[in-house]
Amino acid sequence: MRASARRRYWRGRVQRVLVAAGASFVLLGLFAIPVYLAAAVAASRAPVGVDWAHLGLLFAGSLRATACAIAVALPLGFATAMFSAHFCAPRLRAWLKPALEMLEAVPTVILGLVAATSFAPWLKSHAATLLALLVALPALLLAAGFAFGRPSRHDGWLPLSVLPLLCAIVAFGLWLSSRAQAPWIVPASPWNATLVGLALGVAALPLVFSVAEDALFLVPREQTQAAFALGATRWQALTTVVLPAAGAGLFAAALLGIARCFGETMIVLMASGNTAIGGFDPLIGLRSLGADIALGMPDAAPASAVWRDLLVATLALLASTVLLSLAAGFVRARLRRRLHAGAAA
Amino acid sequence: MSNSVTPAIDGGASVSREQAAGAAPALRTRALSLWYGARRALDAVDLDVPARRITALIGPSGCGKSSLLRCLNRLTDEIEGTRVEGEVRLGEADVYAPDAFVHELRRRVGIVFQRPNPFPLSIHDNVAYGLRLLGIRSRRELDERVEAALKAAALWDEVASRLDDGALGLSLGQQQRLVIARAIAVEPEVLMLDEPASALDPAATLRFEELLHELAGRYTLLLVTHNMQQAARVSDFTAFMHAGRLIEFGDTDALFTNPRERQTEDFITGRYG
Amino acid sequence: MNGTRAATAATWMLGGLVGLCIAAMLGLLFFTLGSGLASLRPGTIERITLADGSSRLAEVVADDGHALLLRTSETRRLGEGYERVRRGDVVARSEPVDAFMIGLGDGRRVLGVGDDAALAAAVGSIGALARVVEVLRPNALGAFEGAGIFLRRLARFVATPPDASNLAGGVLPALVGTVTLVLLMSVLVMPFGVAAAVYLHERRGVGARIVRTAIDTLAGVPAIVYGVLGLGLFVHGIGAGIDRWFYADRLPVPTFGGGGLLWAALTLALLTLPVVVVSVEQGLARIPSSLRDGSLALGATREETLRRLLLPAARPAVLTGFVLAIARAAGSVAPLMLVGMVKLAPASPLDGAFPYLHPSRQFMHLGFAVYDAALASPDAIRGVPRAYACAMLLVCVVIVLNLSAILLRNRLRDRYRALES
Ligand SMILES: Nc1ncnc2c1ncn2[C@@H]1O[C@H](COP(=O)(O)OP(=O)(O)OP(=O)(O)O)[C@@H](O)[C@H]1O
Ligand SMILES: [Mg+2]
Repeated sequence: MRASARRRYWRGRVQRVLVAAGASFVLLGLFAIPVYLAAAVAASRAPVGVDWAHLGLLFAGSLRATACAIAVALPLGFATAMFSAHFCAPRLRAWLKPALEMLEAVPTVILGLVAATSFAPWLKSHAATLLALLVALPALLLAAGFAFGRPSRHDGWLPLSVLPLLCAIVAFGLWLSSRAQAPWIVPASPWNATLVGLALGVAALPLVFSVAEDALFLVPREQTQAAFALGATRWQALTTVVLPAAGAGLFAAALLGIARCFGETMIVLMASGNTAIGGFDPLIGLRSLGADIALGMPDAAPASAVWRDLLVATLALLASTVLLSLAAGFVRARLRRRLHAGAAA
Repeated sequence: MSNSVTPAIDGGASVSREQAAGAAPALRTRALSLWYGARRALDAVDLDVPARRITALIGPSGCGKSSLLRCLNRLTDEIEGTRVEGEVRLGEADVYAPDAFVHELRRRVGIVFQRPNPFPLSIHDNVAYGLRLLGIRSRRELDERVEAALKAAALWDEVASRLDDGALGLSLGQQQRLVIARAIAVEPEVLMLDEPASALDPAATLRFEELLHELAGRYTLLLVTHNMQQAARVSDFTAFMHAGRLIEFGDTDALFTNPRERQTEDFITGRYG
Repeated sequence: MNGTRAATAATWMLGGLVGLCIAAMLGLLFFTLGSGLASLRPGTIERITLADGSSRLAEVVADDGHALLLRTSETRRLGEGYERVRRGDVVARSEPVDAFMIGLGDGRRVLGVGDDAALAAAVGSIGALARVVEVLRPNALGAFEGAGIFLRRLARFVATPPDASNLAGGVLPALVGTVTLVLLMSVLVMPFGVAAAVYLHERRGVGARIVRTAIDTLAGVPAIVYGVLGLGLFVHGIGAGIDRWFYADRLPVPTFGGGGLLWAALTLALLTLPVVVVSVEQGLARIPSSLRDGSLALGATREETLRRLLLPAARPAVLTGFVLAIARAAGSVAPLMLVGMVKLAPASPLDGAFPYLHPSRQFMHLGFAVYDAALASPDAIRGVPRAYACAMLLVCVVIVLNLSAILLRNRLRDRYRALES
């Protein structure tokens, strides 16, 4: 008995050591990233200094792409999250969430492909149509809701019931634009920040959605029920109870979305034209940090100045995204604590 | 010694008989204290649990009954920030000896918790779990011992035809007996039960008490209960605890009819707790 | 009253935006799959007659309203057949039923009209110079024949290697490369991810908090950064070191000191590690502590408890981590551009020669095939459809890998459903 007890004891010990070894390997791997980058940059003996001007252009390019993408991802992501957490019919929600998770799994190279080869030619001649649709779509939806909408228990299915209206508006817009003689707005390049923003926005949408939805869903049911008991409509409960309580979560979702867009490489590589141009014009091309690394790194000789500059670019990318994620993590943890404390009280 | 009463020193008549008969206690604690962080949950408990008898442990909620049980098989090791002082002996073995194999000690001191906690495995595998740990591989031997344990726990007739079904599908009372079968399958010397009947209806509780009597011949039972009648009905000895201290220990009949301590009397007459 | 109407209107807008998301998602999916499938469909051959009296047999590949882009017969050289004609110049278009198309191994297409004898003669004369892979009369195809040809092309696309230009032939090596890479990545990431999660699960305190935060944060680090680490540390650092020590005889030709399957899989494993760790740890945390106590009370050691009870009960979470890791890995192309993914690999990392898996070899990848065919190819007219075909296949691979892991998880979850509620 005692012999077998000893054997089991030592077997446990060995397994414990193995697990600890595996875990330390993981830690080593994870901390290798910042350590390696910093060390490699510090150890570089390249004769010329870092090309800060170029780096600045890259940073600005990433920022411009991110700004355009966020303009797409935030409204859509927040709207979807609010609807899903607060209005959605449970049956619709049951497949809306997995569907968006599936979208997350779509390789970004495919978004880049569609944007660069199919959407770019269309956008070149229809930039004005796009702009008009962006403005008209929400406005017309609002107007239609104001004119025909009645609060009903079928509101949970609105996304599907307004789909015909949506299609009609888009079709009408396209028809109008096809009658125009010459395009009003002509982008300088078919591959530009707007195009990048659209594709990148779609790529970041699932992340923004799921983080925001988590936060909204975390708001205790009792609080919304209390608002309903006081006679609030669903919309009022959303704006007066849920949004104030979960606002920080939406903020965190925005931060994470920004980090995602800032670092995404494949879409930008394919749809931005990759010319390092500064400025704020959404209709001209750009070159981002990620794309510059992907294009330059394979051919750069280790220990050359180019290599060192690329490492600096990587470090900049790493630092920005880490700061954003840390901030988001902090905000989310505080929100979680507060809401849980609220629920317990 | 005013706060810890040990039968060996100043116990009642029947305890003396027990000692005189030479039955060494199955479990013995000396000056056992437990801290959760800075909070003291047990205060110098001296308790001898007589072998092959039913000992009931009573006391108001929060007095440290569950904590005492956890100390006896070192489950306190698993809680962050606990500290134990004093001595616990299981037979001759020192439970808190630095070179003790904790898992082997725990096998010898089984515990059944307040809420049944069957594993998400089949009924058969639940009972066989501890046996497999002991290195028993032969299907025949496993089957035999599982059957014996289930019979001992009075569950066999109800589950014999569905041993491979999930254990989580059993009723609460069946789950409780399954957990007992699981515990006795590894043939412990002491079986500790922490309010085992609190989730059962009156009829099931009665059946359960019969089961306790059957088990008493083979195992040393330590039973925590909030039910005074139950303690009086089933146990041979009773220990009363209060605020982490063992106030009184003695023959059940004696303790309930003629408590020596004022606190005990208040408690069992319902004036307290 | 007015407030209610405004609220309803706002709700409509929200609902509409959600509808837009759904529509965009479905549109994207169907567009990709549709374009991929369409690229394999045999197109009709037209006879285009121009105002100057000339006529040619051609496939119309694009029509922008002002001009037609034609692809005519390519008898000598790839890409020679493209021709742009103004719409106004076209005086007649017809679809001759007896038109035929001969597809060659290098991607060229030779068009002609005539009866079977003429077709046989054409095949004979061309077959002497190039490999004929396909002969058909696209304008005379019935629905079933058309479907048959489509399926044959699909099979050839999936199951044969590409030709030297990477614009014709199949994508088998890329498919094999993608799947091998993802599987190798899983083999690397799962044990380490689970070990780290188990380790963290048993630990509280400041150190564990820091590590958890670090892992959460690293989940948001862009994939390309991992690629840089893979190239700089794995390839140029460790790989070059291995070469100096063990393969010095082959230098300066790199063995492990160049990009390859192993380094790519390691890079992806690092990339997906945070996802696995977080998911497994959450799964372990969800298991009620009474189970652990119950097992310990029966005399199990902590390790036995973990192995026999907790990890099996956390299997759905482990598989969730697996699913997420696969999704992330199969979709990451950017880091691979730095660590060994190539347009045309000289030798497959998986073959029949011992030891069958060659971790130091370069490999091809569907994601890179998409990028390369769409943007880096000299012949966009054939490159873009090919890119869509690759994209379709990539989507299918991702969906199949995801679905199989999800199905597995659901089967396990049914067993543990009672536990989770
Ligand atoms: N894990 C723990 N951490 C900190 N304090 C604890 C812990 N477990 C128990 N305690 C404290 O120790 C004291 C004794 O608790 P214990 O559970 O042993 O009481 P009990 O007699 O079993 O009560 P009950 O009859 O309600 O089950 C209580 O004051 C309790 O708050
Ligand atoms: Mg208790």
